[in-house]
Formats: sequence, C-alpha cells, structure tokens
Amino acid sequence: MKPVLTTRGLTRRYGRRTALSDCTITVPSGKVVGLVGPNGAGKSTLLRIAAGALPPTAGEIEVLGGRPGSGPGQLAKVAFVAQDTPVYAGLTVGDHLRFGAKTNPRWDDAMARERLKSLGLKLDQRAGRLSGGQRAQLALTMAVAKRPELLILDEPVAALDPLARREFMQGLMAHIAEHEGSVILSSHVVSDLERVCDHLIVLVDSRVRADGEVEDLLAGHHRLTGPRRDTADLPGDVIAESHVGRQSTVILRGPAPEPDPAYEVEKLSLEDLVLAYMSSDARPALEMA
Amino acid sequence: MYWFAWRQLRLQTVYAAGALVLLGLALTFTGLTLASSYADTVAVCGTDCTDAVKAFLRDAQTGAPAAVYVTGLALAYLVPPLIGAFWGAPLVARELETGTHNLAWNQSVTRTRWLAARIAVTGTATAAVTGVLAWAVTAWAGHVDTVRGDRITPLVFGGRGVVPVAYALFAFLLGVTLGAVIRRTVPAMAATLGVYALVVASFPAWLRERLVTPVHTTAPLDMDRLGDLLINQDTSMEVTGKGPEGAWILTNQTLWPDGRVFTGPADAASCGRDSAYGICEKWVSGLGLQQDVVYHPSTHFWSLQWAEAGVFIGLTVLLAGFCFWWVRKRVV
Repeated sequence: MKPVLTTRGLTRRYGRRTALSDCTITVPSGKVVGLVGPNGAGKSTLLRIAAGALPPTAGEIEVLGGRPGSGPGQLAKVAFVAQDTPVYAGLTVGDHLRFGAKTNPRWDDAMARERLKSLGLKLDQRAGRLSGGQRAQLALTMAVAKRPELLILDEPVAALDPLARREFMQGLMAHIAEHEGSVILSSHVVSDLERVCDHLIVLVDSRVRADGEVEDLLAGHHRLTGPRRDTADLPGDVIAESHVGRQSTVILRGPAPEPDPAYEVEKLSLEDLVLAYMSSDARPALEMA
Repeated sequence: MYWFAWRQLRLQTVYAAGALVLLGLALTFTGLTLASSYADTVAVCGTDCTDAVKAFLRDAQTGAPAAVYVTGLALAYLVPPLIGAFWGAPLVARELETGTHNLAWNQSVTRTRWLAARIAVTGTATAAVTGVLAWAVTAWAGHVDTVRGDRITPLVFGGRGVVPVAYALFAFLLGVTLGAVIRRTVPAMAATLGVYALVVASFPAWLRERLVTPVHTTAPLDMDRLGDLLINQDTSMEVTGKGPEGAWILTNQTLWPDGRVFTGPADAASCGRDSAYGICEKWVSGLGLQQDVVYHPSTHFWSLQWAEAGVFIGLTVLLAGFCFWWVRKRVV
C-alpha cells in the first residue's frame, strides 16, 4: 500500500531558528499516527507543512502522492484541524456547515448534521458562544465531513478540560472506527494518543527520535535496573541512562538483553518510552524498522 | 466560496445600504427645495444674473441645504478611507489574528480563489456603495457647483464624479494588502488611513495638475476684472487680475511688458496717500501690464476625473497583484 506521507530531509527554518530539521519519515496508509514531542519540538511545523499551510525550507514531502496544498484536488484529500481549533465567532454553526458544503466536493452534509445533533450543537448557535470543547467538535466535524483521505489534527485537545478532552477523543475514535482513511494527530501528552494510535513518531528538538508501530516500539525497548555499571558494553542503543548512588537505570533499544540475575529487565509503558526520548538529548536518531 | 465571502460581508452591506437610504432621503428633500429655488432664480435670470445667483446661493448656503452640502462632500471624502480601514484591513488580518485562515484555507479551495472571491465580493460592494454615493452627491450639488463654478477646485473635485469610486477601490486594496503584511487588524487599519491620506493628499497638492496639460495664457491685464490692487508702505505693489470663471487657477501673475513680474514701485503722484480715487488704476492701466495665468478650465473637469481615476485604478491593480503574491507565498 502506498504511504500517505513521505518526507526526505524535510527542514523548516524561521530566520535562524530551525523548527524542523532533516526529517525523513514514511507514514503508512490506513493508520492512526501519533506525533508526540514536547512543546516547540516541531510537531506543528511538520503537520502544517503536510497540510500545505507552510512551505518547507528544504527537503521533499509527498502527501497522498501529491505536493501539499498544490491545488483544490490535493486540498480536498487532506483535512487539517489547526491548533486551537479556530471557528468564525460571528457565524453560526449552520453557516460553517454551509461553508464546508460550498467549498468541498465530497462534503457529507448528512453526516455533519447527524454528528452535531448527537453532540447537542444547534445549527443557529453562534460559533463564538460555543465552549472550547464544542468549538473543537465543530472543527472536527468540518474536517471529517470533508471525507478526507488523510485527517491531520494539530494538538486538538491541548486547550480542553479533561472531560471535553475525553469526549473529543471518543468522537475521533468513533470516526476512525467507522471510516477508512489515515489520521495523524499530535500531542505533547502521550496519554492522549495511547489509546488511539497504532503508529508513533517522537519528535524532540526539531528531530525525529523514534518512528514505528506502537507494538514494535514497545517490543523493542527495555529498561535495565541494577548495580551501577558502565553502559558502553550493553547491546543495542542506550536511549537514556541515570545513575543514582550505586544504582543504574538504562533504557535500551534493541532486542532484550541476556538474562542476568543482577539486573532487572522490564518492558516500558508507552509513556515511559516517550519520556525517555524526550529527556535524552543529542542522541542519534535511528528509525525502527 | 462567493456565498461565504458574501456571508462575511452581509451585515456590513446592510448597514451601508441603510446609511445610503438615509442620505438619499436627506438629498431628495433638500434637492427638491434647491431645484425649485434654482428654477425661480438662475434658470430664469436671462442676461443679468448677479441678483439671481445671490438669491440662489443664499438658499443653498443656509439651513438644511448647507448642512447637506457639507455632509455630502465630507461623506464622499470619508467613505473611501473608512471602507479601506473597515472592509479592507480586516479582510485578511482578522483571519490571521483569529486563526480562522487555518479553517478557510483548508477547505478544498486554494488561497488564490479564496482571496479572489473575497476581493471580488467586497470590491463590488465598495464600488456600488461609493458609486451610488458619488453619483447622488454629484447630482444633488450640480446646480450649486455650476453657479459657484468651483467643482474643479481641489477641495470639491475629490468629492465629485468618478474619483471617489477609484479612491475607495484603492483604499480597499490598500487595506487588504497592509492587513496581510502587518497581520494585525488595528495596526493595519491605522496604517491604511495614514498611507491613504498621504497618497490621496499628494494629488491636489502636486500630482493632479500634471495629469492633463493646463492652459497657459498671457493677455493684457483687463482693468475691469481686477482682483487685487495693493500698495505697500515701501511703494511696492501687488496687482492681480481675476482668473477665468469656473477654473482651477494654478498660477496667476502680473508681468511687465518685457516679461518681468510686476511688483511696483507705485507712482507717488498717482498712487500716493492723497491721490484721488481711480487715479492709481488709471496709472496702472497705462503701464501695459500682462496677465499670465496657468489654469485648468472647467472643461478639463472630466478629463482630470478620468485621468485621476485611472491612476488610482492602476495603483489598485498593482496592489492586488502584490497582495495575491504575498498571500500565496509569504503568509504562513
């Protein structure tokens, strides 16, 4: 199956600051991909480039076989829910739907109306009067009613309270379950992504640190705890290490180390795994096959 | 997309149309009064019209007609920059400020088509509103302008004919462009008003007179149409003849027969403190002075109007080109 998104050496600079540096990834089709990393890691930059909202400074990107934002056909295939889920405050919910219907060739008006109805959003309500959660739901509805092949969401729940956050993710999961297509969503909180994603990309400090299927990532990382030791002779790559007193904790990438009674070897949770990458600076980025 | 562009402007268009209707009522009522006054005075005065003109201008320059005259002129001047600030500047800037460009530009419509639709719809409304306004004000003031012979003079010219429409389209695109570049609504509005005022003011100040070649005449000074005759303490003199009726006078000099500018000195015997009335004029008329005038006659009104409108339409097109390029390539 053709990948939905491939980048090679993708780089974006704002003046002297590099927001995304030499990013080479391949996102397989039909997956829900989580893009995780701390604030300012370049997640928005990557997603905005993929949506066609931002041109890259260098490198190549192909989304669903085309150049992002290259024309109406390309725009129709990709839906983008921007950070803070903007809506027109002065217009009604119904106006938004009409806008979507008039500007998108594959617009599914019945689905949009059904979705808003189930959320308790009235068509004559002004979008400016909606709560943050309702606004996000309206933005998501606009995006899914477009029936895109790729749905991109940039930190859609970052500004929401826990309840709205859960409702939003439930809505998204329901959509994913019912419709074909690929989804890429970003967050700086792993727990937002854990339940929905089957592929994860960890972006730290403008670079891709880990990229792979969630299962493969979990199977390919281990935590080693035991007496203080040098990490150079360990098999695999050291992602993070900490030495406190006489004890060492090492997070390794690669096959499980040889059993050793002195050391405890554990699997990591996804959250620990991502945190290990976020806290480890200046280590080489390797791609998980 | 056109529906959405219209939806975003709908309310403002309703306000503008309402304001135009109110103005239309004021113009109609005072216009009827003025028309009947004109019919009783200037229209039937035959050869000696001095009193008729005075009577008509007395009607036109007092009470409601005077207020409407000033209001109409002020609106013709103020509506274009206000359209630039309130319709132009927020068009892109407000979207960028609130982030809604991320919504608008991610439907299946390119930025170019989005901008084209929004500019077309608001631009059409701009042309319609200022077109109706300028036509109504110009038609209402027709008799007053003719009688006063001042519609080509700098103050009145910009509030008549077609230039207000061209000013408004220019102001609108200026606002859109500055909004896209500055990215913030309020600073963009202020910048639009400032730049607009500078550009538009430069026309009566320097540029307009060059758009059409003015008429240059040198003729013997007509002592029956003398404007000023001043004798200063140091016996220097200022003598000026009246310029042509209904014209925009650019320069008006009185010259010696050899071409030097006439500045006196006054003849002590004819123009002294004790000289009898009329002696000084007689002395001046014997000097063979020439009146040298550069001016735009009232017949230049429409050629100046179209020339200036053309310049502003040209500027508007340039701004539009830049704006499309900027929004496509530079707004991220």
